[in-house]
Amino acid sequence: MTLLEAAAALRRREISSVELTAAALERIERLNPSTNAMQTVMAEVARERAKLADQELARGEGRGPLHGIPIAVKDLFRTQGVRTTGGSRLFEDYVPDYDATVVEWLRAGGAVLVAKSGMHELAYGITSSNPHFGAIRNPWDRDRIPGGSSGGSGAAVAAGMVFMAMGSDTGGSIRIPAAFCGVVGLKPTYGRVSRYGAMPLAFTLDHMGPLTRSVRDAAAVLNVIAGYDARDETSSRRPVENYVPDPDPSIRGLRIGLPENFYCERLDPDVDAAVRAAFRAAESRGAEIVSLRVPDIEAINTVARIILLAEASALLEPHLEHRDLFGADVLALLDQGRLLPATDYINAQRLRRGMQREFAALWPRVDCLFTPTTPITAPRIGETTVAAGSENEDVRLAATRLVRAINALGLPAVSIPCGADRRGLPIGLQIVGKPFAEALILRVAQALVPAEVPVPPL
Amino acid sequence: MSTDRKKDWKKIARANGLAIPDAALERIAQSLDALEAGFRPLARALPPETEPALAFHAALRAETAAVVEDAE
Repeated sequence: MTLLEAAAALRRREISSVELTAAALERIERLNPSTNAMQTVMAEVARERAKLADQELARGEGRGPLHGIPIAVKDLFRTQGVRTTGGSRLFEDYVPDYDATVVEWLRAGGAVLVAKSGMHELAYGITSSNPHFGAIRNPWDRDRIPGGSSGGSGAAVAAGMVFMAMGSDTGGSIRIPAAFCGVVGLKPTYGRVSRYGAMPLAFTLDHMGPLTRSVRDAAAVLNVIAGYDARDETSSRRPVENYVPDPDPSIRGLRIGLPENFYCERLDPDVDAAVRAAFRAAESRGAEIVSLRVPDIEAINTVARIILLAEASALLEPHLEHRDLFGADVLALLDQGRLLPATDYINAQRLRRGMQREFAALWPRVDCLFTPTTPITAPRIGETTVAAGSENEDVRLAATRLVRAINALGLPAVSIPCGADRRGLPIGLQIVGKPFAEALILRVAQALVPAEVPVPPL
Repeated sequence: MSTDRKKDWKKIARANGLAIPDAALERIAQSLDALEAGFRPLARALPPETEPALAFHAALRAETAAVVEDAE
C-alpha cells in the first residue's frame, strides 16, 4: 500500500491511524534487528499522535494526505524532545528543544512520526556502515549496504516499515539509497525545502527530500514540505505548486536528454541496459529522445568535492580535538578539508557559478535529462572498491560519480527504480530537471514507474 | 603540461598548526593529490570577473521579508 492509498483508506474510515501506526511499529520491531534502519523508535508518542489524528479525522478536521500517516525522518532532523544524533557520537545525547522546519511542517500536516532513521556518520559518506551505531543493511540483501547517507531512510521505506522517510542529500545521499534500495528518492531544487533545523554538512550543497515507494507519494510529501521559510537564508520565495502527477500522465512531446558523454561511461552492464530500456520506455510513450553532450561533469564533481570538504571541515573543526569520537572514513575527509586553502574554496564557488551557466545552456534543448543514478548496484558491506565497467573504483567515488554534480548545480532530481541487476539488486534511474521543475520530473517519473515499487521478500 | 610540484601535506599541516598525525596524513595524501590535479587547472582558467556562488544579504532576510525579492 502506498502513502496516498493509505490516506484514501483513512478518509474512507476503512482503517485508522492507530492501526496504521501499530502496523508500522510491529514491522519495525520485526525487521529492525536485521536491517538496523531505525536509530530511535518513538512508539508511545506515535501511538498518542495517531489517536489524536483519528479524533481529528472523525471530527472532519482533515489536514491533508499525510494526516495520520506513519513516517520517519533521518536522524539529523532536529526533533523537539527526541534525541538527534546525526549518526555521531558527538551528539549521542543531544536532545533538541525545537523541531526542524521540515519536521514542524510534516507534523502540521498531521503525519505521525514513529522513528528517526539511521544514517552514515554525520551524513558524510555513502555506506551507512556507522561505526558507532552499527551498519545499516539493505533489505534486498542484508550483506550489502543500503547506500547513504540516508541509508536508514532507504532501508526503512524499502522494507515497508513506514510510508515515507525524510532524507538529506549533499552529494547524492537521498538518490544513492533510493537507487540501492529500489525506492523513489527526490532531491528538490536548492532553496525549495527549508534546511533550518537539519544538522548541516555543507551549507551550500545540503538539500532535504523524501524517500517513498511511489512517485506520487514523494510528490505529496513535497507539497507539504516545500515553501518559503524565513529561518533559512537560502529559502526560495517562488510559489509552491501542486506537485502530484496524474496516475497515468502523458509525456508525449517532452524532450528527454540522452547524454552521449560521462553518464554512459564506466557503468555496470546491467545498469547500462536498464537505463537504455528506460529511454525506450519513454520514447514508446511519445517522448522525444535528444542526444546531447553535457558539460564537464568530472570538473563539476571536483568543484563540489572541494566545497564539501571545506564547508564540512569548517563546521566540524571545533570537535576535531576529540579524534577518537569520529569514524576513520569521516575523520579522513575532515582532515582533507582542513588542508585546503581558503582560496581554493572561493575559487571552487567561482567555478560553480560558471558551471551553472554552462549547464543552463542545455535547458532550451531538453525538458529533462535521464542518467543512471549510480554506475553500480549495492556493494557488499565492507567493500572499499568496486568494479565499475572495466575499472575498479573507490566505492564512495563510484556511488557519487553521477549524482554529486547535481548538488553543486542545485538542480531538482529524482531517482526511481528501473529494473534489477543479475543478482536481483535494484537499479536507479536519475531524472534531472531545470531549477524548480519538480512537477515536470515527477510527471516523467510517474509515467515510467509502477504505481508502487516492488518490495523485497522479507 | 603541468609544472606543478606535489604539495607536501605534512609541511602544510604543521605550518597551519593542525594536529593531524603523520599516519593520517599519509593515508589522505593520495586523495588530496588527485583532487589537486583535477582542481588546479580549473582554478587557473577562471576568468577574473567570475564571482563566487555565495550570497550575502546586508539586511537579515527574515527582517525584510516584505521587500527582499528572490534573485531567481
